[in-house]
Amino acid sequence: MLKIQEIREIIKLIDQSSINEFTYESDGTTVTLKKSDESSSVMQEAVVKQAETLQKQPKKESVPAIEENKKEPPEEVQEINKHDDSNNDDDNNTFEIVSPMVGTFYAAPSPESDPYVTKGSKVDNATVVCIVEAMKLFNEIEAEVSGEITEVLAEDGELVEYGQPLFRVNRN
Amino acid sequence: MESTRNKLIGLLAKEKDNYISGQLLSDELNISRSAIWKHMNELKKDGYQIEAQSNKGYRITGFPEKLSENTLKWGLNTDWAGTKIIHKETVASTQLIAHEAARNNAPHGTVVIADEQKEGKGRMNRHWHSTKDQGLWFSLILRPELQPRRAPQLTLLTAAVLADALGRHTQTEPMIKWPNDILINEKKCAGILTEMQAEQDRIQYIVIGIGLNVNQEETELTAETIKKQATSLKVETGKNWSMKALFQNIITTFEKAYDFYIENGFSDIKKKWESYGFKVDQRIQIKTMNKNREAIFKGISEDGALVVEDDNGDLQTLYSAEIEWFNNKGDENVNEK
Repeated sequence: MLKIQEIREIIKLIDQSSINEFTYESDGTTVTLKKSDESSSVMQEAVVKQAETLQKQPKKESVPAIEENKKEPPEEVQEINKHDDSNNDDDNNTFEIVSPMVGTFYAAPSPESDPYVTKGSKVDNATVVCIVEAMKLFNEIEAEVSGEITEVLAEDGELVEYGQPLFRVNRN
Repeated sequence: MESTRNKLIGLLAKEKDNYISGQLLSDELNISRSAIWKHMNELKKDGYQIEAQSNKGYRITGFPEKLSENTLKWGLNTDWAGTKIIHKETVASTQLIAHEAARNNAPHGTVVIADEQKEGKGRMNRHWHSTKDQGLWFSLILRPELQPRRAPQLTLLTAAVLADALGRHTQTEPMIKWPNDILINEKKCAGILTEMQAEQDRIQYIVIGIGLNVNQEETELTAETIKKQATSLKVETGKNWSMKALFQNIITTFEKAYDFYIENGFSDIKKKWESYGFKVDQRIQIKTMNKNREAIFKGISEDGALVVEDDNGDLQTLYSAEIEWFNNKGDENVNEK
């Protein structure tokens, strides 16, 4: 199955191309991407479908919903879509740093320290931008791209989901 | 150099009480007899007790307690865990050295161990008190081919391994306070802190830091930072323990459990964890943003999260919550220790 990153990549490529419609089928999941007539924004329906399947994965093993975070899937999907739109506006220069696991988002290495990055911070591939912690496993998240942080999307101490966007970076 | 010394120790140890001649050693190791003699002196400096008798040769009569790469590895029969050991006398934190080693391609299973940590890392940079020569302070580098979101299972696995190894080794009854503090008689004896470098779908490396209080006296544990909730193996058993033997037991148990987990998944590890779980099937207090409530702690989920049952019988999974483990109403005996 396609990963969300791969879908993003495909969206970008289609956006830049003259292709109007794209369908991908695997394991019973179909992803259809269509350009609308007026603008280059992507058909939302398709993304919704895919995002929902992705969403199910981390929760499969734990039957009940995560405390404090019973977001309905569509809500999050809208976030993804919003981002895709803004992507188009920014000439595809926006990159989203997403959480690789469920956990608590920490903006700083300790409560007394300054945050790793704030809006406007310059980052490169290896810059640590935050920590996501679950069960005392501290995951230092690196930017993976170089550019400038344009938006911090999670709050210090917030419980974040697998795949949830944490930062937006304007690529150099 | 290192391996010649190891071979030399190996030859001597194999003979146990018998002498082994300098000539034989020099033949076996392909070095001169004067080189052998130099090695012997080095070993003595490391704390090995070696007897030399003219016409008979050498024999080893005692192994050092002092930790070194050699002594820690000696007798350790693992395939990958601890086959590379970096030992330092004093460090800021073994985690920092391990991160550096991992960035420089240290292999899966590398251990960084120190006699003393000046800035032992605890949760969110809380200080972990690591007195010189009194405990085991080490970090283990892993390079698992797992999805990053499964990585928290490894910290629970480590807790189960520690509880298992300590229980067998010291005849105590360790319990695990979720997710991974090791308690003996409801006081903290060991802590685990795990740090990971990962991309979205691939783990670069994981560093598991373990701090275990071994031979501290009760008075040494009353430092302000650790107050009364801390204990050591010595306090609990009244005995001094060999760090080397403990270390090797932990590392060997870890390798087995890890290989089993990679092969078979988390479910057996989960059962093992739950068998040591502190307050399983008892009421605990859960603090979330603005309210306190009580629920029964049922165990952990497949991904290691805390599973509780509220008064309506509904199950809930908690990934992140402040739990009041010791001050339960209706659970009078907890604080009387």
